[in-house]
Amino acid sequence: MSVIQLEFYKLRRKQLLLFVTLFLLIEISWAFMVMNHSIARNPDQASWEPLIMTISTMNGLFLPILSAICVSRICDMEHKGSTWKLLLALSVQRRQLYFAKYFCANSIMLAISLFQISSIAIYGLLKDFTQPIPLSILGRFFIGVLLTNAAIIALQQWASLAIKNQAFALALGMIGSFFGMTAGLFPFSIRKFFIWAYFIDLSPIQQHFTNEQITYSVKDFNDLLPLMVTVFMVAVFLYLAGSFHIAKKEV
Amino acid sequence: MIRCIAAEWMKLKHSRIWLILIILPIISVLIGSANFFMNQGVLQNEWYSLWSQVSLFYGEFFFPLLIAICCAYVWRLEHFNHNWYMIMTAPVKRTSIFIAKIAVVSLLLFFVQGFFFILYIIAGNIIGLSTEIPGELVGWFLRGWMASITIGTLQLALSMRFRSFALPIGIGLCATIFGLAMYIAELGMFFPHSLLTIGMGVLSQSGLSSFSEHLQFLITNILYILVIGLLATNWLRRTDIVA
Repeated sequence: MSVIQLEFYKLRRKQLLLFVTLFLLIEISWAFMVMNHSIARNPDQASWEPLIMTISTMNGLFLPILSAICVSRICDMEHKGSTWKLLLALSVQRRQLYFAKYFCANSIMLAISLFQISSIAIYGLLKDFTQPIPLSILGRFFIGVLLTNAAIIALQQWASLAIKNQAFALALGMIGSFFGMTAGLFPFSIRKFFIWAYFIDLSPIQQHFTNEQITYSVKDFNDLLPLMVTVFMVAVFLYLAGSFHIAKKEV
Repeated sequence: MIRCIAAEWMKLKHSRIWLILIILPIISVLIGSANFFMNQGVLQNEWYSLWSQVSLFYGEFFFPLLIAICCAYVWRLEHFNHNWYMIMTAPVKRTSIFIAKIAVVSLLLFFVQGFFFILYIIAGNIIGLSTEIPGELVGWFLRGWMASITIGTLQLALSMRFRSFALPIGIGLCATIFGLAMYIAELGMFFPHSLLTIGMGVLSQSGLSSFSEHLQFLITNILYILVIGLLATNWLRRTDIVA
């Protein structure tokens, strides 16, 4: 527990939470602008499904790079301050350190997801959506974002700790954003291999193009469950592989 | 000055930064071309349609991020092991240090742009486009490069100021979104990131039509480079740097 507290303590003057909040505000503002524009053209769009789908699509662009930045800042302070040897001289196992950093990064992204959901609910209420707040859909959206973030953070943390030069970890995040953003262009058989695409695939809303019209439907939870399990397994695998590799690596 | 540029170039040796610089244009052209190939029924404007597909995400989001990574990388060494003290005590002008970094980044971005355009032409030939390569290509290339130097100067100033590697990149992404908003608000000529959108003909391939628009584009870029460069070198001269 003290190792986790120490990670948060190290971040106290880095204003990381402020930065990620501002970053998220830009994403949400953009999404809401798109929604305002869409509602102005077609009032039928004033419902929860298009709003959640818009946020899911934008998460594909924003969250991979945001995770990369967040993880890089948490890991790079050890590289920059040359504190690895100091930390390892303490009676703390490397795996505990690895877990503490992973927990810290996930907590920040969890806070972001909660902020995102609250913003969705507030926007819907302000726009007088006819349906009540769809708690079950928002819950599934939240789980999807959380699981995808967990897998991406595991990969980013592995990269940020294994390669001292953070340019590579951030380039990986950038490539992730690229795949996350363009995922919708590819069939599922191809995009299922890219974890960044799961912001869309684990979204509870599905988008259809029929007669040049966009329609939305709610995915069945039973269809989403196997995908959620897969992403969870990928996150566990990436975390264990990274933890094992870093534990064995010479400092 | 030449010695400063040579020193900067030497720092990049064996750095494998080239790996990062070439991978994104490859992915952008591969994905853009695949999308164009699968949707040729809708995208019927041959080279122009292909350009719209390969340049959209690249020019709008990922090239500015690549510039940010490149600039953060160029300053990274100085933030390590108290190297700030070493460069500050070196018998060179502080302005030369910053200009040398701009020169090296500009050269790297020239190669990235060149590589991206070569890949675009190769992709068009592989797909089998029958029409002539667009005449605007040279303009897109040069204007894109010019705007990328402007963004590069801004990112270099941010990376110099902040010790964190990731923070200037995050700010760069926020600026990219702001640049898109400026472009939509038809104020694109006044912000570095939207200058790239205009210069490369990312969202509107008609681009700059008149001489006055070209002149305005050029002047805005030069002004940004000069102002940011002056502010950055002024900061270097006046601040008591603590590494």
